[in-house]
Amino acid sequence: MWRCVWNWIKKERDLRRILFILLLCGSTLSGLATAHEQVDVAELVIGHVEDCYEWHITTWGDTELSIHLPVLVWSRTSGFHCFSSTHLYPAGIEHEGLHIATEGKYKGKIVEGDVRPFDFSITKTVLGLLVNSLLLLVIVLTTARWYRHRQPHDNAPRGFIGLMEMMVMMIEDDVIKPCVGSDYRRFSPYLLTAFFFIFTNNLMGLVPLFPGGANVTGNIAVTLVLAVCTFVAVNVFGTRDYWKEILWPEVPMMLKCPLPLIPLIELFGIFTKPFALTIRLFANILAGHFIILALTSLIFVTAAMGPFINGPMTVLSVVFSIFMNCLELLVAFIQAYVFTMLSAVFIGMSRVGTRENRKRE
Amino acid sequence: MSLLLPESGLLLWMLLTFGVVFGILARYGFPVITQMVAKRKEYIDQSLQAAKAANEQLQRLQTEGDAILAKAREEQARILKEAKETGERIVNDAREKAQAEGNRMLREVQTQMREEKDEAIRDIRRQVAVLSVNIAEKVVRKRLDTDEEQMTMIARLLDELNEKPCQ
Amino acid sequence: MLLSAILIQAAASIGLVKVGAAISAAIAVIGAAYGIGKIGSKAMESIARQPEAASDIRTSMIIIGALVEGAALFAIVICFLTLVL
Repeated sequence: MWRCVWNWIKKERDLRRILFILLLCGSTLSGLATAHEQVDVAELVIGHVEDCYEWHITTWGDTELSIHLPVLVWSRTSGFHCFSSTHLYPAGIEHEGLHIATEGKYKGKIVEGDVRPFDFSITKTVLGLLVNSLLLLVIVLTTARWYRHRQPHDNAPRGFIGLMEMMVMMIEDDVIKPCVGSDYRRFSPYLLTAFFFIFTNNLMGLVPLFPGGANVTGNIAVTLVLAVCTFVAVNVFGTRDYWKEILWPEVPMMLKCPLPLIPLIELFGIFTKPFALTIRLFANILAGHFIILALTSLIFVTAAMGPFINGPMTVLSVVFSIFMNCLELLVAFIQAYVFTMLSAVFIGMSRVGTRENRKRE
Repeated sequence: MSLLLPESGLLLWMLLTFGVVFGILARYGFPVITQMVAKRKEYIDQSLQAAKAANEQLQRLQTEGDAILAKAREEQARILKEAKETGERIVNDAREKAQAEGNRMLREVQTQMREEKDEAIRDIRRQVAVLSVNIAEKVVRKRLDTDEEQMTMIARLLDELNEKPCQ
Repeated sequence: MLLSAILIQAAASIGLVKVGAAISAAIAVIGAAYGIGKIGSKAMESIARQPEAASDIRTSMIIIGALVEGAALFAIVICFLTLVL
């Protein structure tokens, strides 16, 4: 396999030149870099992935460039608080009785004394969520607006609108229609919204510049809400036969009557499916962010070890980061696709007709 | 651990945001796109069906036209044949009539010629008779002695007279 | 024998929790990789047998891959939980 890579590198003259330049740059830049104190990779990675009350964009020399976001807290004892998080940084400073805890169970979160109030601040994740939702609304409503004054017999759209239409119809024709079944039109708006919401948030999480880079779908609260929406869509709109199959399935009486074994398993299954959806999306996106951040911080970890180690490690880190970013693009699409497909399959399974109808289908 | 516990504030914001996004897009976003594509598909199906029907009609009209054309050509051939036969018939009639007319005229002429010939012969006989009488008178004055000489003279004269009109 | 002695030494110094979490994460990933590899190989064989069903097979492969990965990620999450709890 290495021989293949070596042959490929020998063939690709431009690639060789790029690699050489990278190596050169890496070596010189790392030689120029002053030795900082030991970088705490775990803190770096977790800090980028976790929720925060400010959005740290960059550190230019000595000045830190970050956006301080509003803090909205409702405490049972002292009522409603609303102020900018500038007053709470550096962490530990108290303002209006609230401060950010620096250790313990609520590390990094606002606490009042020892308890945690109802905290609905606009944190980094919330701001990222709002920005991405706005972007999604703009994109989809622009696409819909294009169709407003056009007739069916006009030409099909081209360019960006054509791309959006192609993606919408791909999801509708390949995922929603076959998986949900005959009444797919009722559930298609929710499934399409879910797909594009997850896809947009995944993609924006990969962009390192502001306003991208917020770890929205890698946050379990976000994916939990999405899974709960699917749960509602599956169970509230489930037909009578669906509930009958869960609570009184057609199995031997022994498994049903004195101890409802099968119904219990089926009820458990109702909850594990959305739970799996949550964890799958959350863990995939979070793991992707971890890997990219860890690979990038490889440069800074080896900075203290001198230019001869730092140079090649920089090149390695950049190459692997490129590869991981491409993989993460794929994962962004696949996770959105799989979430939508599984939701469609669950909804389709819940809209099942009676056994006779199904035999007739 | 904080990574695995959902934050209540974030839950609230996410519910709000996703609810608003879903509400707007389910009303003004995706149905517009999907309905327009469905309408376009329907229009394409309709156009295909109309094109197929138009094609069939065209085929039908073409076959009808071909049939009419074939009949017309048949008619044309028949008329030409009839016309040719009529022409030939007329020509034949005319020829026969002309032939009959010719024959009749020929016969007439022949009859006339015979009559004239007879007339001429009679005339010549008369003249011959007159001449012979004159000659006979002269001869008789001279020599009407013998019958044979008379008969030979008359026969010779008649032969000579018979030769002349035929010349 | 020597290996287990080294392992026990390492565990005592680092903390058994971390070793346990790391090893279980590794085992979970091995299971996931084996499962997805098997799915992939069967999918390749099926596509080679019947190329016109390629897109159906590809779709099913992606779904099942995601489900298997989900199961492995459960294990990763438990490992992470053991690390922090």
